Amino acid sequence: MTTLTQPAVSAAPRAGRSLWSDAVRRIRRDPVAMVCFGIIAVYVLIAIVAPFAFGDWSNHYDYDNVNAHPSWSEPLGTDALGRSIYQKTLLGAHVSMTVAFMANCIAVPVGMILGAIAGYYGKWIDDGIVWLYTTLASIPGLILLIALRFAFMDRKLFGGTPLQIDLDGMAGVYIALGVMSWIGTCRLVRAETMKIRELDYVLAARATGRRGIGILFRHVLPNVFHIGIIQFSLGFVGAISAEVMLSFLNLGVKDMPSWGKMINEARMDLVVGRWWEVTAAVVATFLIVLAWNIFGDRLRDALDPRLKTA
Amino acid sequence: MPSFVIRRLIQSVLTVFGVMLLTFLLFNVIAGDISFNYVSPKAPEQQRQAWLKRHGLDKPKRVQFFNHLYKSVTFQGRSYATDQKLTTIIAHKAKYSLGITVPAMALGWISAMIISCVVAYYRDTWVDRIGVFLAVLGMCVPFLAYMVLGQWLMFQINPERAWGLDKPSNIYVPVLIAVVAGIGGSVRFYRTVFLDEIGRDYVRTARAKGVPLYSVLFSHVLKNCMLPILTNLVTAIPFLIMGSLLLERFFGVPGLGDLMLSSITTRDVPIITGLTFLTAVVYVVSLLVTDVMYAVFDPRIRLR
Repeated sequence: MTTLTQPAVSAAPRAGRSLWSDAVRRIRRDPVAMVCFGIIAVYVLIAIVAPFAFGDWSNHYDYDNVNAHPSWSEPLGTDALGRSIYQKTLLGAHVSMTVAFMANCIAVPVGMILGAIAGYYGKWIDDGIVWLYTTLASIPGLILLIALRFAFMDRKLFGGTPLQIDLDGMAGVYIALGVMSWIGTCRLVRAETMKIRELDYVLAARATGRRGIGILFRHVLPNVFHIGIIQFSLGFVGAISAEVMLSFLNLGVKDMPSWGKMINEARMDLVVGRWWEVTAAVVATFLIVLAWNIFGDRLRDALDPRLKTA
Repeated sequence: MPSFVIRRLIQSVLTVFGVMLLTFLLFNVIAGDISFNYVSPKAPEQQRQAWLKRHGLDKPKRVQFFNHLYKSVTFQGRSYATDQKLTTIIAHKAKYSLGITVPAMALGWISAMIISCVVAYYRDTWVDRIGVFLAVLGMCVPFLAYMVLGQWLMFQINPERAWGLDKPSNIYVPVLIAVVAGIGGSVRFYRTVFLDEIGRDYVRTARAKGVPLYSVLFSHVLKNCMLPILTNLVTAIPFLIMGSLLLERFFGVPGLGDLMLSSITTRDVPIITGLTFLTAVVYVVSLLVTDVMYAVFDPRIRLR
């Protein structure tokens, strides 16, 4: 109503609204997206708080309360060693979200930079990068993931330095996932960069004498940044599912409860009628995957309606 | 046209070479000394050296790599564990993998096409909304949960049929699980493909001329959707051979996927590289065939 009463001139600044504020506005107006965002926020909060709240989880055995049904004192029951399923589920969120976040932190920047370089420079650099990702894509993903996990076994990165990373643990899982999931981002960014390269403002930048690398970081990458954001949110879905599969093969995170391990243990549980552990894990996984799926889609529609990654 | 095919051929050969390089790096270089998996650590050093020599692992890495390439291309690998020829093993085990994946893919594809056609036909009505909603729900349940639940249900009905392949018809459970688990994603994908096409001008023209909607959908739209649908199908073919790794492991089906997983655990390198090579070659060849077919049927693509 206010816009109607104001003079037409004040409509002009609205045309200059940036891509980002426009996207935020569209997401805010979308109740489904906001609900999903709320779920994600809750999970992130749990992922951050859970390890502090239940740090002593591993020695919480309670042999008097083995295989207890859900009750008021134990809202989600207990497992075969009397440990609280409630605590296990919340700690599972920590594992899942950390693995997915870190894997994307590796995959998205790698994919964006390689894609932009390939798309901008073209020629043999492009051929090389395309060769690299086609090669990776021709090996079934799960096999590559398992192979990487085996290659990482008992190994350390930067061993002996303060930065030491134990590749056998959670770091190994997200590094392996990150190393192989940059391909989609790289493809999209490469295609977009090839279009941007031909635009007038890039030509203008070149005419003013800017060097290639400067144009790439100053003019090209900011214009493909939204692809990175979209891929980052959609990448969570793949990473969370992959973590569940790795746990099934006993190649997942050790020393920490994870949803994959909880579902896997249910093979034996269901036969003896212990349904609460698998239910808790499946519902927890389902909700976050659903939320990321829908939120990622809405984000994509808000940021770039032309882009389709189906 | 010939130059396009030749360029794609060279790319394909390079890709297969890349796959070989990668598997070599992963399993022969990074994996380190694997002889301890096959020769007891307590055995005398001589025995270990003999084992290494027999499998050509005492040579420099460069020579090993060329051996690895040669053996992969000619399919001459032999299992470290059983000394069987790779080709014999594949011939023996492939039928189990194909027994799961081929019916699963056919059933899944047909039902996904039908459902997405119906959903696209009734777009923006409650049929569409419920369909998409169910598809998204189905996509979000972890695959492992489908397997656990499917096996448990079968166990309730008939415990003898929940695991293994004592009866050939036991295979229906994993097939059904593969179909159910995959259908959500495919329905969503095909629905987008159909809806993209339904929005085009020629559809409006045909409708304006008075062609009934079902005829437009099935004779005009479906034809134009075939390209993305076929690509989707063709690129899934190579993964048929390997079977569904997880399903085979979970239901005790002795197929190639199960073999692959156990070979990775025991570091049976010739089997791993042989199977990876096979999948990669089939994948690259099917991509090549699709690209050439595209170029034949759609001249615009040749210009790129």
